[in-house]
Amino acid sequence: MAATQSRPVHLGLRRVLGASLCGVALVLSGCAKSEEPAAQAPQGTGGAQAPVAPAANGPTCTLSQYGGAQLDLKNAIVGFSQSEKEANPFRIAETQSIKDEAAKAGVKQLLTTNANSQLSKQISDIQDMINKGAQALIVAPLNSDGLEPALSAARAKNIPVLTVDRKVNSAACKDYVSFLGSNFVEQGKRAAREMAKALGNKGKVAILLGASGNNVTTDRTAGFVDELKASAPDIQVVAQQTGEFARDKGQQVMEQIIQAQQDINGVYAENDEMGLGALVALRSAGKKPGTDIHVVSIDGTRNAVQKVVDGEMSAVVESNPRFGPLAFQTLRSFLSGQPVQQNVVISDKLYGKDNAAAELGNAY
Amino acid sequence: MTAVTEQAAVAVADKGMTKREWIAGLVQRRGSVVVLALVILVSSFSFDTFATLDNARNVAMQSSFLAIVALGMTFVIISGGIDLSVGSVYALGGVLAAIGIQWGSVAGLLLPLVVCGGIGLLNGALVAYGRLAPFIVTLATLLGARGLLLAITDEGANTRLMPRDAVLTQIGQGTLLGFGYPVWIAVVLFAVGVVVLQRTRVGHSVLAIGGSAEAARLMGLPVARRTMWLYTASGLLAGLSGALAAAYSASGVTIVGVGFELDAIAAVVIGGTLLTGGAGTVGGTLAGVLLLMVIQNVINQIGTLSSHYQSVVSGAFLAAVVAIQAYLSRAHLGRERST
Repeated sequence: MAATQSRPVHLGLRRVLGASLCGVALVLSGCAKSEEPAAQAPQGTGGAQAPVAPAANGPTCTLSQYGGAQLDLKNAIVGFSQSEKEANPFRIAETQSIKDEAAKAGVKQLLTTNANSQLSKQISDIQDMINKGAQALIVAPLNSDGLEPALSAARAKNIPVLTVDRKVNSAACKDYVSFLGSNFVEQGKRAAREMAKALGNKGKVAILLGASGNNVTTDRTAGFVDELKASAPDIQVVAQQTGEFARDKGQQVMEQIIQAQQDINGVYAENDEMGLGALVALRSAGKKPGTDIHVVSIDGTRNAVQKVVDGEMSAVVESNPRFGPLAFQTLRSFLSGQPVQQNVVISDKLYGKDNAAAELGNAY
Repeated sequence: MTAVTEQAAVAVADKGMTKREWIAGLVQRRGSVVVLALVILVSSFSFDTFATLDNARNVAMQSSFLAIVALGMTFVIISGGIDLSVGSVYALGGVLAAIGIQWGSVAGLLLPLVVCGGIGLLNGALVAYGRLAPFIVTLATLLGARGLLLAITDEGANTRLMPRDAVLTQIGQGTLLGFGYPVWIAVVLFAVGVVVLQRTRVGHSVLAIGGSAEAARLMGLPVARRTMWLYTASGLLAGLSGALAAAYSASGVTIVGVGFELDAIAAVVIGGTLLTGGAGTVGGTLAGVLLLMVIQNVINQIGTLSSHYQSVVSGAFLAAVVAIQAYLSRAHLGRERST
């Protein structure tokens, strides 16, 4: 009965409306709770992930601890369960990276499923893949809790599970093998430092929150707010509203905030899509993004990094979606009996004025 | 002519239907079962991992939660109404079960039933006595229930876990004869639903209300009271389903149930129930639920197909069914005009 995370309540009606009404709009197609379709940028070729701390300094997991037999990936059926529709750059790049690396590793078969933001579908997707003969699973969890039936089905057959991009609240090396992903709190902190730099440690900022009830939102908010308090106490957070990780929502919310709070000089968007929406709203309100108002966002999509190059965005903190190489490398080591890290925190880039133009090719 | 077809012909003649209409009616009532059987048959030959006991268990378990919600929806739609609140109520039921279980399994089950039944009662009272449109009333409770859910969980930042050894959790996760308890609960509820709709006065009055509420009122049926209890039952079933789903995943997750009401409506309509009310079967709804879930399963069986196709195929079925229904009602009207 543990409360896993906590955060102050700031309930807005439009959040409720947004979360519930999207179901009415999309008959049968499920409902992408987070990021909405974006203008699709061409795929970057570079930008492979690297772990922050490659050496063994955290808890590890071995095949004998978890249970199961050694296996060569070349003869294995691997399953990948994606959480949300491949309708935004992050998910597109993530799925593509897994597919590319599976082809490179030469696995016997890669099964792919997409839960379309429905938790019950992700549970059945994973069970279906196990039933279909998957011998190793890579899961991008939709939620930190609630996947227990799927994990226990894998557990019962000693099928190793790697979770990528979001962590599940279960025991590593027991309920699953290990987690590969970014540190979302750290991303928020880096965004706060960039904001402080852009504003000269003084000013009023608005936060465009991600989707409610999502630990990515919670962590990116906590990291940002805590870091501001610690290192730039003269920067005030004067508004925070959810833009549901979507560009149009981000734009709408920004339009309202800028009407109510004309004197803000910073905007922190918890993903690039909302940040791009906010830029449009700010320009139509007569502001000059990059000069009299500074926008910082997280993700590192091609379109957002281009805005850094253009000088409209101040900085973009990367959240690297290319899990393929690291995931398959981890699986290969694990299935050959070597110990693997239970928590592989990946290093994310930072796109600022000085490097955005040079690094644009690595954005996704 | 054999005795059976003679009998059928007599029945047709009695009701003044043409044979074509009779066949069309049969397609509407039993079509989903036939399509389901065909899909299962073809899939069994196409995928060697489809017709296995493990897969049957999975599909049955996955279907049970939607089935319980769709059962309540069937009665509401037959009565000429709609209940959009069930998705939010389902999610609320799960969270309340995870909250209630700290005082024991009985509380874990009662809390969602009382609150969700209460929301259903509110829907029913507003529709039946307030004479408000069901679409609007239940849209309001859809929003209200989701808001309440977010408020009591700090917007989903607090996910409550359910202790694994609690009786309620065991009901969600345990099995009987290989199938999970939620499957058996759904089976029992559907059996009760079939009997209620076809063999009881309550069921007949629901059909009558859906056919014409005014006529039912003139016949002296307690239209308002029956309507109110239908929505209450729908709320109760959604809450029960949510509680069982929470027990199954051992946590009260807040992000579930978005758009679930539409899946339930789709299952009911694919099952042959008229969206305009007055006609429908409980068994058809079960076939509709299974059809939606089997389509999802088959797309996973293929393994490499984008899951967007599930929506495409489900949508195609829905469109086909609604087109057939429209054709049937036109045939019906045409006959009335010509007599």
